[in-house]
Amino acid sequence: MRIRESFTPWRRRVVDPLVADLRAALSVDRVRIDGAERALMARDASVFAGGVAGPTCFPVSTAEVQAIMGIAAAHGRAIVPRGAGTGLAGGAIPLGAPIVVSTGKMNRILEVDTANRVAWVEPGVINLDLTTHLTPVGFHFAPDPSSQSVCTLGGNVANNSGGPHCLAYGVTDAHVLAVEVVSADGEVLMLGGLDAEPAGLDLRGAFVGGEGTLGIATRIAVRLTKNAPAVRTLLLSFATVRDAAETVSAIIAAGIVPAALEVMDQRITVAVENFVGAGYPTDAAAVLLAEVEGLAAGVDIDAARIDEIGRANGATGVRLAGTEHERALLWKGRKTAFGAIAQLAPDYYLHDTVVPRSALADVLEQVYEIAERHDLVVMNVFHAGDGNLHPLLLFDAREEGTLERVHAAGAEIVRASLAAGGVLSGEHGIGVEKQRFMGELFTDDDLDHQARLRHAFDPACRANPGKVLPSGHSCADIQALHEVPTGVWG
Amino acid sequence: MDLHLDPDELNACVQCGLCLPHCPTYRVSGDETLSPRGRIQLMREVQLRGAPVTVEVRASFETCVQCRGCEPACPSGVPYGHLIEKTRETLAREAPGSTRWSRLLLAPLGRPGLLRLGSSALAVAARLRLAPKRFGVPTSLPVRRRPHTTSGDDVYLFTGCVMDAWQRDVHIAGQRVIEAAGFGVTPTGDAAPCCGALHSHAGLTDTTRRFAENMIAALRVDDRPILVDSAGCGAAMKDYGRLLGTREADAFSARVFDIQEWLALHVDRLPVVEPLDLTVAVQDPCHLRHVQRVHEATRIVLAPMVRDLVELDDEGLCCGAGGAYSLLQPELAGEIRGRKLGSIARAAPDVVASANPGCSMHLGAAGVATMHPMELIARALDVSPARTPAAPPPR
Repeated sequence: MRIRESFTPWRRRVVDPLVADLRAALSVDRVRIDGAERALMARDASVFAGGVAGPTCFPVSTAEVQAIMGIAAAHGRAIVPRGAGTGLAGGAIPLGAPIVVSTGKMNRILEVDTANRVAWVEPGVINLDLTTHLTPVGFHFAPDPSSQSVCTLGGNVANNSGGPHCLAYGVTDAHVLAVEVVSADGEVLMLGGLDAEPAGLDLRGAFVGGEGTLGIATRIAVRLTKNAPAVRTLLLSFATVRDAAETVSAIIAAGIVPAALEVMDQRITVAVENFVGAGYPTDAAAVLLAEVEGLAAGVDIDAARIDEIGRANGATGVRLAGTEHERALLWKGRKTAFGAIAQLAPDYYLHDTVVPRSALADVLEQVYEIAERHDLVVMNVFHAGDGNLHPLLLFDAREEGTLERVHAAGAEIVRASLAAGGVLSGEHGIGVEKQRFMGELFTDDDLDHQARLRHAFDPACRANPGKVLPSGHSCADIQALHEVPTGVWG
Repeated sequence: MDLHLDPDELNACVQCGLCLPHCPTYRVSGDETLSPRGRIQLMREVQLRGAPVTVEVRASFETCVQCRGCEPACPSGVPYGHLIEKTRETLAREAPGSTRWSRLLLAPLGRPGLLRLGSSALAVAARLRLAPKRFGVPTSLPVRRRPHTTSGDDVYLFTGCVMDAWQRDVHIAGQRVIEAAGFGVTPTGDAAPCCGALHSHAGLTDTTRRFAENMIAALRVDDRPILVDSAGCGAAMKDYGRLLGTREADAFSARVFDIQEWLALHVDRLPVVEPLDLTVAVQDPCHLRHVQRVHEATRIVLAPMVRDLVELDDEGLCCGAGGAYSLLQPELAGEIRGRKLGSIARAAPDVVASANPGCSMHLGAAGVATMHPMELIARALDVSPARTPAAPPPR
């Protein structure tokens, strides 16, 4: 489709030099400046409202990303990378009128090498599309965030995304072999490599999880995982959330590493069941979805042991998914859980913290107590095997003062997790959401080292400024962030 | 500008983005402006924050195929179809601009005599290679049509406008199948010339309301079921209750069935046949799968009739036909079809079964052998128990 620019009488049209340069480097229709269109870019899937987005660019090649970075540098402007905009920590929202670099049109699967179990992809490839593409050859991409049908691999790399099946397989970092990166000063770097142990410092490891503050990934070499020959999925129901949490610890302690261990509490199970109709028990206080993969004989033994451990820890019911269809439905329920609760309230705030597995039951009790004290409805769904909590606070932002209560409760939940020996984020990232808590987890020394690493990649602080590191340690105070551009953006 | 959207409907979206991969225009463009979440955000900018309806904003609204593939994907149940339809209605009324083309294009639909005359002329022109290429007029358009016949009064068969002029053979096949199940069929013919679906997609909702009222009046003699073999028409007619907001319209909508949906309820009344020796891929028209949500019926009625029934791997993503969309947005429609062609190639069928005239013509124009499920069933009934040829005849 050809998009023409809004008609403006030539005398009144302001020719912005930044826009002119970007359009010369890309094309007119791939650099958008319409006010309403840019307003779309002010939000991702989080509750955080961004500032005003600058021009939105849709590059199609590494060379174009490089050109954008060069132009941004020449004009002293920041850039913010954007995949599908499904982040929950505000990592992709614009601060300081940055140039938005969307990877939406860089969505090709470049090469699949099953012999070496590696695929080269562009950053805009949707996570699930890669797995679907690999299905005929019997492989998949292991990290499977709940948003996997939408989120992009570039976004997964930026946030070091997890997912239910990362318990056994590890998060995104374990599945990225190499990344081609365009740094903020326009240099193209190849971090990592296909060798088993690439020489030198692991800069690839530094880049994964960088939340766009270290540059933009333009090509990614991902590890392919062979599909397991046999899978068993069990659904255990419990009379208390504590029983479910303790079962999880007992399973891991018994030496079983399931592919996934997911818990949902009663409120969210009811919401999911209404949406999907997967046969979840709506009368249980909590359900545990456990999945084991491997050779048929092995998974049967593991499934039997999980059944046994569950019952020993108070499971009131254990069901083995009998068919692939039944299994798919159970997972569909789990993966659409966040969306399903949207039927219940117009807004929700999804938190993400990690606690030691042994502290799960105690922290969960605190979460319920905190929500009650702030007069909020909370639902819990979590990657129990990893101790990764996802409390969901339901609210209606149109009610005066609600958002403040939600933020206050959220802060208490984060602090309760930290107090139990946990960390700030399991997979959503820090973005703008958890910046203010960074000082409670890390010492000044830690933060200074992180800031120095970031400066090594991006000395002028132009890549996604104002995110991750708290101000004082970050680029939040750089001029670019405060400079509100004049001209075509009103 | 006030788009006159319901504030609760507009507020229902929580921006999770789960709709994005189910939107054909986002899929081919990678551009959030061309996604349901993006379009809803633009509606909010225009209605709530007074953003001007610029060429870009308008393009975002007008490039929506209205396939409504985003609706089943939306866990919050955002009624996106209503939102975009209302937006288009407001734009068509208050800022007509480009809708004058659709108005002109759709003008003959309520005039069956004129439509048939024009379509026969178009068929002759296509055979003489005089028709403009961008319209993708198939050379197989009929110049003459077999007349409709009434075989009884158990059910109505809605024949509609363009489909009756261009694909009357599908109606005749559908009627043959329903009769084989033991029911007498009354084709509606010129008594109910057009359902108005294309008009409401273009924002010309007043015309749709008028057509709906006419049709309800024409078919109110008794309460027999109304079978529809065009997914787009069926979806529109099932929506008359909401559109007109009257008890009579509700009662009318309750009588409307997709022809596969209805046949699936009576499939045991069809004779057992030798399956056609064909691999058939099911292409679900969007308004059958995402709006009426009765696409499983197609599989139930087709499975006993063909050797292999296979699925496409794109989870019901739109083919880009979208009623008049392929004429109004040929570039995007072509790109969207490109994805569908890839999916069809991977399934490698002998023939694609599609229960909507727009889809079958749009795919047919790209060289895909398509047949309506009713045509396949009619053929299986006709040739049984003899063996059938391996390849379908060209359409």
